Amino acid sequence: MDLIQTLLDGLMVGGLYATVAIGITLVFGIMGILNFAHGQMLMLGAYTAFFVVTAGLGFWPALLIAMIAMGALGLLLERIVFRFTLTDHMQGLTASLGLIMVIENLAAAAFTPDHRTFEPPLPGSFQLGPLTLSSQRMLVLALVVVLVVACYLFLQKTRIGKAIRAMGQNRTGAALVGIQTSQVTAVVFVLGSAMAGAAGVLYGSLFAITPYMAAAPLMKGFILTVLGGLGSVPGAVLAGFLLGVAESLGSRYLSASFRDGYGFILMIIALLYFPRGLFGARGKVRV
Amino acid sequence: MDFRLYSTGGRNAAIALGGLLLAASCFAQTIKLGMVNSLTGPHSSFDLPASEGVLMAVDEINKRGGVTVKGKKYPLSVVSEDAQSKPEFAVSGAQRLLRDDDIKVVFGILTSGPGMAAATALGKAEVLYFGGFTLMDTLLGKPGAELMLRTLNNDATVAKSFVPTSVTELGVKKIGVMLPNEDVSRSIVAIYKPLLEASGVQVTMVEYFQPDTQDFAPVLRKFQNQGLDGMLTGTNDALVEAILRQATELGGLPRKFMYRGGSGAPALKNAKGVDGFTWQILTRDLDNASDAKVKGWIDAYKAFTKKDVSPNTYWALTFYDTVFMMAKAMEEVGSTTDVKAIAAKVKEMKYDGVRTMRFDKDGRAQSDIDIGMLKAGKVSSVRASAM
Repeated sequence: MDLIQTLLDGLMVGGLYATVAIGITLVFGIMGILNFAHGQMLMLGAYTAFFVVTAGLGFWPALLIAMIAMGALGLLLERIVFRFTLTDHMQGLTASLGLIMVIENLAAAAFTPDHRTFEPPLPGSFQLGPLTLSSQRMLVLALVVVLVVACYLFLQKTRIGKAIRAMGQNRTGAALVGIQTSQVTAVVFVLGSAMAGAAGVLYGSLFAITPYMAAAPLMKGFILTVLGGLGSVPGAVLAGFLLGVAESLGSRYLSASFRDGYGFILMIIALLYFPRGLFGARGKVRV
Repeated sequence: MDFRLYSTGGRNAAIALGGLLLAASCFAQTIKLGMVNSLTGPHSSFDLPASEGVLMAVDEINKRGGVTVKGKKYPLSVVSEDAQSKPEFAVSGAQRLLRDDDIKVVFGILTSGPGMAAATALGKAEVLYFGGFTLMDTLLGKPGAELMLRTLNNDATVAKSFVPTSVTELGVKKIGVMLPNEDVSRSIVAIYKPLLEASGVQVTMVEYFQPDTQDFAPVLRKFQNQGLDGMLTGTNDALVEAILRQATELGGLPRKFMYRGGSGAPALKNAKGVDGFTWQILTRDLDNASDAKVKGWIDAYKAFTKKDVSPNTYWALTFYDTVFMMAKAMEEVGSTTDVKAIAAKVKEMKYDGVRTMRFDKDGRAQSDIDIGMLKAGKVSSVRASAM
């Protein structure tokens, strides 16, 4: 029973990591830019949820508003910053590092460093046979699965999703066949940022919200991007769940003070057998 | 030309000018105090109130005319540096203070990361340093630390009153310990475990988690269904609030907690899932003040800062009384610059301010504290003496 509960904990946390990693890997796949500022969308999404919930509007409107707001912010950043860095990826990376400083410090000044929490929609726990499960954690796991599946269906079944995948394969080729690359890039930023905003809301429903909360999930997101294969959304998702389970099992049955180490060990072993990641494409990639 | 007139006038002018200069020199000399605190960043919740306490004390001393040394009055002024919750900025802030030769006394820093860095820099200079961070205790009593004083009781002193009071109030018999994997946690276990066992409590588990952990479920599951009736945890509000919240969600865990830390906020936010919670108020309980001095101080704080008290305001008392002790020591020693004599005098004093303060020969504070309690939904506190 303890093992099942620990596995469920790991899947939940891994799903959150995966939700962040999807945005990172999508942007990298089509633009070649490692967007370090992506984690700030998670942080701002969490704060959005905090203010919406404490204003009395409730969790579900908070989730929707956070996704829309972060999607809009992602579009804004793409329009005013990242679209000008397409020809120089280092420039894009550097710009994203600058954005982290700006956004994080603005948040600290506006919201103060004090940690915030909001009441989750499903507090407490429930019994499922012999298992005692946290209600909110199970809700977060369910929502993560919904988000990931929705993202997958969007990429697989919609016209714009196909365009995104085409650009991920070959940007020039996609442009040659008439895909509006500038519009698709904007959609990718909106989609990735909205996913990060949603992840922020889910994080905020379980963990403390501070202006500095983005660093850990962002780092995990980059690990997953590499582990899953640069530009591969299924890879990022699978890697996310694997990472979460590795951390959870390692912390529970080995030492909790080495939690991050389990993820890195997993990454090293995986890359030994899958040098380009679990679902990585062949060929060279410049970072 | 009547040179007698000119010489008389010139003499009078010189006397007047000399008098003016003398008067000006009396008022121009101030005692410059240095202050390095994390005014921004994650540690500002501790250091910002601490800095307010220093400024309040300085303001009150100046309003009564300043520090009187050998008949001369010296107002106090404060030069403040922001450590930004980072060791490298704490060092650079301390170094900037040290570049000002007029600064002989420095206050500041309640957290060990930036604190150790600043103390290392300040310890190499001839300045009197009043700090508050936990790991300062490892520096005191060693050669070169004669001018360092820690204004908060160390863990060993606090634990001697906190542990027996908590065990009695909570009625625990078998507990687990859950702390972040840091040096200070290991010293907490070394101090608290023997005291708990001496109080008749079995300590059956000690688990350390990665300090930046947010998901505590895997480590909390180690404590599930172990027959524990309590837990000792720490070391800051954000961590403990997260631990309590997740413990109440997971179920099968103890519902009584001893918090090696300074606020009841984690328990108040999770009151429904907690049967008992004790915490250490290293200065004074401002939320349930019955003491006239504390009530008076609260009013003074509100008037000075134009803010209401918050859960972290009690950190403002970290250095408040010590500023008055420093001033009194200067007056008794007859010097504003002989830091060795001033330090020695401070260590001899027993000061009845808002807190009752004393320092031992190594510069460790021995002050009475308040122990906060949440039991059956009610919050209260008891005074515990270290002297």
